[in-house]
Amino acid sequence: MKELMYWNAISEAIAEEMARDEKVFVIGENVQESPFLATKGLVQQFGPERVMDAPLSELAIAGATVGAAMAGYRPVCDLTFADFIYCAADEVLMKAAQQYFIHNGEVGVPCVFLGVAGGGFGNGPEHSRIPAAMVMHNPGLKLAMPSNPYDAKGLMKAAIRDNNPVCFFFHKKCMPMKQAIPDEEYVIPLGQAEVKRSGTDVTVVATSYMVNLALEAAKQLEGKLSVEVIDPRTLVPLDMETIVASVKKTNRVVIIDEDTECCGVAAEIAQQINEQAFDYLDAPVSRLCAANSPIAGAAMEKYVIPQLPQVIKAIETAAGI
Amino acid sequence: MKELSKQDLLHLYRSLIRTRKFDQLNVRLAAEGKLLTFYHSAHGHEAVGVGASSLARDDDYLFIHHRGHGLPYSIPRGIDPKSCVAEHMGRATGWGGGITGFHAVDKEKGVLSSAGTIGSGFVLSAGYGLAAKKNGRGQIAFCFSGDGGVQRGQFHEAMNLCAAWKLPVVFVVENNGMAWFTPNCDTTAVEHVADLAKAYQVPGEIVDGMDVLAVYRATEKAVERARKGEGPSLIECKTFRYRPHSEGRPDVSHYEPRSKEEIASWMERDPVRLFEEKLLKKKVLTAALIEEIAREADEESAAAEKFSFDSPFPDPARLPDMVYAP
Ligand SMILES: Cc1ncc(C[n+]2csc(CCOP(=O)(O)OP(=O)(O)O)c2C)c(N)n1
Repeated sequence: MKELMYWNAISEAIAEEMARDEKVFVIGENVQESPFLATKGLVQQFGPERVMDAPLSELAIAGATVGAAMAGYRPVCDLTFADFIYCAADEVLMKAAQQYFIHNGEVGVPCVFLGVAGGGFGNGPEHSRIPAAMVMHNPGLKLAMPSNPYDAKGLMKAAIRDNNPVCFFFHKKCMPMKQAIPDEEYVIPLGQAEVKRSGTDVTVVATSYMVNLALEAAKQLEGKLSVEVIDPRTLVPLDMETIVASVKKTNRVVIIDEDTECCGVAAEIAQQINEQAFDYLDAPVSRLCAANSPIAGAAMEKYVIPQLPQVIKAIETAAGI
Repeated sequence: MKELSKQDLLHLYRSLIRTRKFDQLNVRLAAEGKLLTFYHSAHGHEAVGVGASSLARDDDYLFIHHRGHGLPYSIPRGIDPKSCVAEHMGRATGWGGGITGFHAVDKEKGVLSSAGTIGSGFVLSAGYGLAAKKNGRGQIAFCFSGDGGVQRGQFHEAMNLCAAWKLPVVFVVENNGMAWFTPNCDTTAVEHVADLAKAYQVPGEIVDGMDVLAVYRATEKAVERARKGEGPSLIECKTFRYRPHSEGRPDVSHYEPRSKEEIASWMERDPVRLFEEKLLKKKVLTAALIEEIAREADEESAAAEKFSFDSPFPDPARLPDMVYAP
């Protein structure tokens, strides 16, 4: 066992996959130094031919990723901020997502779109998003959002090995996290939720960094409420089985997600719970998400993105207290 | 080309000094953890923004480059830079009301936005140019960017559209050879951005971006052309950033430290000092005046710091009303 930081767990996963499969390479702006560290150190190991500092051209980078993937490579495309997926939208949403379909199921697009996501830095509307619902809304894309270093490593390895385009959003607020990582290789299959904490009174389904807030809230509510926290880890595919099993046990559920509320991740999960476990609910499914607003900058960010006190309150409300 | 008066020259000099002092203030506040967002210093770039935006009328439109987060483009135009500092401290007295993080906006003087996603400036400026042309009052749009930014598709789409429709837009590119950690010589085969303009039949001129007068003169020509309805121009200013891409980040090229010799050689051509020496020789400046201008700028930036600190945070209850116009 060794301790790894969140970002280092990601770079280690990419390094292992690059060593294992010469078809894997990294492309993106500033990936050699890597401002958010997820690809740091790779150029020293694999050279600039496989860790490519690209022009400031999101469409070209994403498009080249899709093209190379269709031609047999497994690129890891770093978009820097996850927000910049909007700059690359045509190639990610229209092409990466749909080429397998358009090729009658004969040509896949195995690649990863990496982006640092979410609030925490106060940088305002264009650098603080976690565009999860938009990815979910485009069939053909998978979506992983690890909430800790262990998951980050295992999910990244699965993402690179997957035969589909996988968006991989890692969270700025998870950057300081450190965790024990086994020396042996492991892969976390896409589509397996994890019960991060078991409880009996109320189920919290939380995503990305919100998992950590939910766990902290659950700890603070100890003695008052027994809270079960589920981290889907990937939103596409979505492990409803684990969520539904928990809801059947607790009969109460709140979904906590950092993306914008309207048409969001929580809305989708809530509807699936309604369809699959309605008879088990003692109260309507509830949700806590970012407000339906651009992400405000500086000191105003915390009024748009859920914070710990709201998370605690949302759990109490869902539990009926 | 009109002769620049002593007053004009001093305005340029004062603007350079104030830009530098306010940039230094933001750099220090960033290091002290007092800015609630990131900061990209304009140190080394001052002459470009100051020289070119000095030619903007109050009713022109102006899209800023991120260096100095608006300072070099606002100060010469009489926009109070304390609102930049206050915005970065998240205060309600900031130019975006303290809700934007780092974006520069000033409706009165046509600073209609700054881009978080680089590249929007080119196409939005085409829109400002379109509006200016429709207005028929001789207004123009200024679009500032870096050399990295021109690698985005929007640059090419905007060039094409502005040239075809003869839109009154002046593109000013601050070419410092770098885009974040990446030297642009490794990501483009084109050495001069001005050559790209020519491909779209847009006049492209290369100037020394460390020479505020050279920038001013080149912009003057482009502005005249745009106001006369003859269409867009591009001015490529060769410049250099003295600091890391943004505060607190490593100063590397790819992944190795930037060359100290290269930085030192550009330091010898410090745009503020070059102009100061020129004005001293012309006897526009004296040692006493230099000292006075520096002292005033120091006092102004100290007052801005205090003003920002003493300013209240925005009222979060306003946020929902900021989403849709009534
Ligand atoms: C669409 C988009 N891609 C990437 C970034 C991240 N980014 C911010 S500044 C920068 C470099 C810009 O280089 P250049 O235009 O040359 O200006 P400079 O910073 O060198 O002055 C990058 C890549 C961004 N903000 N927007």
